[in-house]
Amino acid sequence: MENGSSIQVPDNALAAKKKITASFFRKGIILAILSGMCYGCYSAFLYWATGRGVWVNWYALAASTSSLLMLGALGSAINDTISGIWCIIIAAFKGKLGDFFRVLNTKPGHIMMLCALFGGPIASTAYVVAFKMAGSMVIPITALCPAIGAILGRLFFKQKLNLRMIIGIIICVIASCTIGLSAAGADGNAKFAGCLIALIAAFGWGFEGCVAGYGTSLIDYEIGITIRQCTSGLTNLIILVPLIGIISGNAGSSFTHIVQAVTSGPAMIIFVISGFFAVFAYSLWYKGNSMCGAALGMTCNGMYSFWGPFFTWIIVGLLVGWPNMGLAPISWVAAIVMAIGIFLIAMNPMDLFKKKEAL
Amino acid sequence: MLPVNYAILKYFTKVDEGSADDVIEALKDKYGKSRLLKKNAVVEALMTAEKNFILEETRFELDENNEIKIYYKAPEDGKATINNYIKEK
Repeated sequence: MENGSSIQVPDNALAAKKKITASFFRKGIILAILSGMCYGCYSAFLYWATGRGVWVNWYALAASTSSLLMLGALGSAINDTISGIWCIIIAAFKGKLGDFFRVLNTKPGHIMMLCALFGGPIASTAYVVAFKMAGSMVIPITALCPAIGAILGRLFFKQKLNLRMIIGIIICVIASCTIGLSAAGADGNAKFAGCLIALIAAFGWGFEGCVAGYGTSLIDYEIGITIRQCTSGLTNLIILVPLIGIISGNAGSSFTHIVQAVTSGPAMIIFVISGFFAVFAYSLWYKGNSMCGAALGMTCNGMYSFWGPFFTWIIVGLLVGWPNMGLAPISWVAAIVMAIGIFLIAMNPMDLFKKKEAL
Repeated sequence: MLPVNYAILKYFTKVDEGSADDVIEALKDKYGKSRLLKKNAVVEALMTAEKNFILEETRFELDENNEIKIYYKAPEDGKATINNYIKEK
């Protein structure tokens, strides 16, 4: 047997090499799938948190787009800020805090902050605005983010993207759209501007997954996510929420909202949990993308469109007892279709038969 | 002082090739206590860099403990990427 430089190596060395390579690839896929599951848990707890304490009245009284936007941005701000605190605690516990501060003022650190801005305030806000303007029609558009990430990965970082992988991504995007539309109910009231804004969200998340995934090959993923959550949380809290207040003509309301939200005990307890899951939703997403490439990593993570409604049903529906949280039967079918799509991206199905023949 | 991951990558701009053990040996005086310089962490960092075309695998062998030892090098564009993103202070 030969290795990369055409030197004869023993079969046991080759077997050990294949084992470690397969184990690395498998770990990447598992982490990327886990990231989607954590995303589902974080979404469920975030949904629960924003249905408790002061949030109940706020949502009941929110009539205008700007108030809904303010509540969406405030929820993300609190969640991401708490998540940032969790990240700092974890980094300190693991002895990585020194490296966190060393990375902050470097080029990869700045790029990680840029990714946080794209995926945090920009994409999340664009999604909320687009949804308000065009309804559930924007969901299939934002579900394009794994495809956008894969294309950007190919363009920026020479990552692998062949026809089989493209077919797998298309299968997953279609399945994701099916879940999104079944969950939100198609209203058929498409608005062109809303769809264009939804593209900003899809691009933002695609860019974040691809670039931050690559960045994780330079920066440790737990340091990367600490930068991401602190940047996103603080930008939302200090810039975006006040900005929305100013635009809506009531600058003082944003400060009042922040104070009331952080002193609302029943909601904050749940935000602590949602922030904890957000740490792993994003850190494992970055880590998975860096280990198996943006195309596969982002598609595995993209199963959050199933895990989100699934864990909301389990946590908020079954455990907390809120009504109407069940999953549409089509969601289960779409989840299986998505798994097939992921399998297709990860490996050539024909290889299975080749292995059998070899045996 | 560079962050550990930066120092690991920077190492490959100064040598022709190296394995995880070589990296640990070269950086242990400066970063010995860091968890990021444990064998598993370094192996994973090198494999991730290879996956992202920053490093290239050159050869592999079994060491005296019968464990796989993979050697890497930074190709010219990999070196350029490392030097572009990571500046030594």
